[in-house]
Amino acid sequence: MAYSDKVLDHYNNPRNVGSLDKGASNVGTGIVGAPECGDVMKLQVQVNPATGIIEEAKFKTFGCGSAIASSSLATEWLKGKTVDQALEIKNTDIVNELSLPPVKIHCSVLAEDAIKAAIQDYKQKAGVPVEAAVQQA
Amino acid sequence: MQAGQCWQCESPAENNLFCKFCNSLQRPLTDYYAFFGLEHKLNIDNEDLQRRFYQLSKLLHPDRYTRRAQRERDYSLEATAILNDGYRVLRDPVKRAEYILAEQGFEVGEQRAKDVPPELLEEVFELNMALEELVSGASSVRPQLEEARSRFRAMRREADERLGDLYKLWDASGERDSLVAVRGELNRRKYIENLITEVEKALSA
Repeated sequence: MAYSDKVLDHYNNPRNVGSLDKGASNVGTGIVGAPECGDVMKLQVQVNPATGIIEEAKFKTFGCGSAIASSSLATEWLKGKTVDQALEIKNTDIVNELSLPPVKIHCSVLAEDAIKAAIQDYKQKAGVPVEAAVQQA
Repeated sequence: MQAGQCWQCESPAENNLFCKFCNSLQRPLTDYYAFFGLEHKLNIDNEDLQRRFYQLSKLLHPDRYTRRAQRERDYSLEATAILNDGYRVLRDPVKRAEYILAEQGFEVGEQRAKDVPPELLEEVFELNMALEELVSGASSVRPQLEEARSRFRAMRREADERLGDLYKLWDASGERDSLVAVRGELNRRKYIENLITEVEKALSA
């Protein structure tokens, strides 16, 4: 199976690899995984508490090229968004942007789950009430 | 012919492989446990399974059916395929558990993050980080990699032991909760397997 150019670009030059201080009160961390393929993905956001805007996003993914590209793309999209806007990112957006084939759609689902988990973690820390939609259904 | 009847002589077939009355081969059962005449248990006696496999292999071999009715020739081919697939699944404790989980309505293939405990993911993440540091290190890290490999293998053995205990629990109780635990441990084992593959890749590079 051939990867799209965009996947290869993110895979070869992943954006925002790294980590943020997990203990900081304005950092939300989400670790998610897909046991069937053994992928594990960590995604973190650093939020400006005054504005609710995501100032920094980092990720580290152990997995296939599509999983790396999905999380790399997600961190690009997250920066500059408010936490609520971030929750509107759907896995289908990632699928479309990266032209992921059907067998790799679960990688984009993983990235969406990672965003939600990170935002949920931030909201819990910041004492923002977590709406039902944020909790992983 | 009605279901449950021998296609040849219309006697009650009672899910037997062969009709008790006319001895013709029946349509094989597709459930692996039923096919091998075993109860749906997670712990099974592998020697007993092997005996059944050899015995059935002899009885069902398509060569024995070349002069029989077309229907029996077809059934022997079908049965041989089920026999081989079933043996491959049932003799492997992990595949066997996945088979039972699927039968019990668990989604084994596509699980969402909610099914995986966060502590496990954190542990796996940290192990992956440590392994990556080892692999990308400039100096020779072969001893550390070998150490990591034996640690991961020990973790796999522990997982297998825990699985064995959980299997006993389900076999004795039939409670769904115990299968939930089985699936959790299988997920964990899968991650450990991946780590072993990674470390072996690094060692052979």
